[in-house]
Amino acid sequence: MRNRSMIKFKNISKIFPGAKALDNVSFDIKKGEVHALLGENGAGKSTLLNILHGMYTEYEGDIFLDGQKVNFKNPHNAIEYGIVKVHQEISLVPELTVGQNIVLGYEPRKGQFIDFDKLYSQSDKILKRLRCKFRSNDITRDLSIGEMQMTTIAKALFHNARVISLDEPTSSLFGPEVNTLFEIIKELKNKGTTIIYVTHKLEEVFQIADRVTVLRDGKYMSTNNVSNVTKEYLIKNMVGRDVSAFAVRNRPRRFEDKVVLDVRNLSVIPYFKNVSFKLRRGEILGVFGLIGSKRTDVVRAIFGADKKNSGDIFINGIKKEIFSPEEGLKNSIGLIPEDRKAQGIVKNLTNADNIGLSCLEKFIHFGFLNHNEKKINCEHFMEKLNLTPKDPMYLTIQLSGGNQQKVVLAKWLSAKVDIIFFDEPTKGIDIGAKQEIYRLLEDLAEEGKSIIMVSSELPEIIGMSDRIIIMNKGRIVKTLNYTKFSEEQILQFAMEG
Amino acid sequence: MYKKKKKKNIKIIREFGIILAIFLIVIIFTIINPIYITPYNIISIIEQSTINGLIGIGVTFAILTAGIDLSVGSTFAIIIVFVGKLLVSGINPILSIIIGIGLGFALGIVNGLIICKMNIQPFVVTLGTMSLYRGIAYIFTGGWPVLDIPKNFRMMVDGDILYNIPVSIFILLLFAFLTHILLRYTRFGIYVYALGGNEEATRLSGISTEKTKILAYGIVGIGAALAGIVMLARLGTGEPSAGQGYELNAIAAAAIGGASLAGGKGSIIGTLLGAALLSALKVGLIVVGVETFWQYIATGLIIILAVYIEYIQSKLYLKSLTVSKMR
Repeated sequence: MRNRSMIKFKNISKIFPGAKALDNVSFDIKKGEVHALLGENGAGKSTLLNILHGMYTEYEGDIFLDGQKVNFKNPHNAIEYGIVKVHQEISLVPELTVGQNIVLGYEPRKGQFIDFDKLYSQSDKILKRLRCKFRSNDITRDLSIGEMQMTTIAKALFHNARVISLDEPTSSLFGPEVNTLFEIIKELKNKGTTIIYVTHKLEEVFQIADRVTVLRDGKYMSTNNVSNVTKEYLIKNMVGRDVSAFAVRNRPRRFEDKVVLDVRNLSVIPYFKNVSFKLRRGEILGVFGLIGSKRTDVVRAIFGADKKNSGDIFINGIKKEIFSPEEGLKNSIGLIPEDRKAQGIVKNLTNADNIGLSCLEKFIHFGFLNHNEKKINCEHFMEKLNLTPKDPMYLTIQLSGGNQQKVVLAKWLSAKVDIIFFDEPTKGIDIGAKQEIYRLLEDLAEEGKSIIMVSSELPEIIGMSDRIIIMNKGRIVKTLNYTKFSEEQILQFAMEG
Repeated sequence: MYKKKKKKNIKIIREFGIILAIFLIVIIFTIINPIYITPYNIISIIEQSTINGLIGIGVTFAILTAGIDLSVGSTFAIIIVFVGKLLVSGINPILSIIIGIGLGFALGIVNGLIICKMNIQPFVVTLGTMSLYRGIAYIFTGGWPVLDIPKNFRMMVDGDILYNIPVSIFILLLFAFLTHILLRYTRFGIYVYALGGNEEATRLSGISTEKTKILAYGIVGIGAALAGIVMLARLGTGEPSAGQGYELNAIAAAAIGGASLAGGKGSIIGTLLGAALLSALKVGLIVVGVETFWQYIATGLIIILAVYIEYIQSKLYLKSLTVSKMR
């Protein structure tokens, strides 16, 4: 029974105008297995899922479900067949309760009205199974991102799915939540549910998957039992080059003694209180904390994105009042936000405009904007940061996550800022692009830029930081100077304070 | 490089589509009634589109910031009665015009300030000022029209220069040219588009989105003021009740011209063509002898159809560009 194929992809190709997203992909997903789908951004993982879930109806090739050829007309159709996708947390309706989101479109009814008692009791049962602390009558907007992600998983469970696909489910979860998710996945597997697990985190493949399929540039590379493969083999399959180590400093750390940013007793009530630290020239300062530690709020407040209650900020020894991002920029600070799509890039602008946005005055002569200079500036950074495609007129929104991140970075480099706040620099970025971002971080520090790197990825914090600040519930609980950082030590501070 | 070319082509096609639609309307009406194509009639079409064009160009700025301005019809009325009073009391026409434009700008700025400082949605703010400004216009004249607008002012603004072409058309073209330059070749213009596309990302890029927004509403006010000045010259009287419903015509012109009410998309040329299309249709329906009631129906259908075609076009455009979008 375990060896029967649940889903069979046969010669699947999908062509978008201008590019082949999938090229003759064939493989099997067995009944009741956890099948990891691994690949860089742009490898075709999401396209394949979208075809499976009836989101794309035009493609070449065949899909067999339990030996039967299927051709879903829409996502609803796929759900009827028991094939459910766990969406990103942004697919929830914030104003509805958790329970309403879970059953959305399939509300239990009493006559013509919604049967709320049944709705909440059914939803609570699922939340309990997921060991969630929040209740189904909570308003979704009030949940943390991790809790929202759990809600989307609850939504999939509600549909009694035969096949559940999860697309990067842990990108917004942390620690215990990830463990819970993995336990749930195992539980589902034991009950015979087939799981498709899309990820680019290799450790997760080894933790959770039975078999793993690698895609690269829309082409099928390999399918293996996880017990038979090594990390190095999978990486080689994914990127076609050997990535032995990435989140490490290749060159000696050598920040200077000169303090460029000095934060004293900064408070934003009720988020964080009395935060003080110093940032030196050429330093990468890691800020680590669990979800709820308010690490993002600290950098946002310094940059001027949020209102401060009290505290002083000194830049190069001079006290500065920074009440808006405009003043942040004037004081040579740039912020690269965690949520790139919502806060980093402007969707209707081209690469040239997005990159030039913070320094348009450079291209103004006699009151008029010189579009050509703006384009040359863009081309310069496209070359420097190795952006693809190298087209200034391309809309940034259509680039991959890693390239979008480079565009946001290029914006601040164009504006020649000296202090850069990187909030989750590699979130949702594939391994290849991560590596490039780490090298860029190192280059920038060497050029004398000062960097605050906020991250929830421990390997990244440990590998890249010169010093580490650990936050817990809005307080700095520990500052570690560079020695050899240990994972356990950092986690302990972050959890217990 | 290949994508760049493609994008340019589609852009040409986009405005070409509206021009084609105008031609189609002209041809159909000419076949039904050849009077439609006479020079006199064509000038009347253009003349009709000046008021809507001026207001529409202004409103395009609000729409580009993902906002809206419903108060333009009332701003228009205030300018008409105020400038009318200035002229009647013997103030120099040029000075009166400058004061009128300044007042329009100020009324727009007030909208922008309320939107930004009190953090209220533009729709609600301008719904409020629509009534507020209208009330001011009525109170200012006690409800009476301003009569006997001096001839020299009327000639200056709406007199014929050559053949039967009135000055007001050149006012429209000049305003369109200047605002086009403003949008395409200044920082402010790029910020307007950026703000409409993603306000938070624009703010976090170190740009004062508030200043940009407030100024954008100021320009909306200038558009309404210019329209009011032209109207005053054309009619020779200033009615405080003038311009009711004009905000909707202006929004229609912008939408037909490809402006997205979601913000960040639209152009001055598009709005100009949108206004031309609407008046070509309106005049055509009159020439052909369609009943007034049916004119409303035809106008409504054209608005929806035009925006739908725009939607299909942009979908095709995205499809032609999409390389990595869903991957």
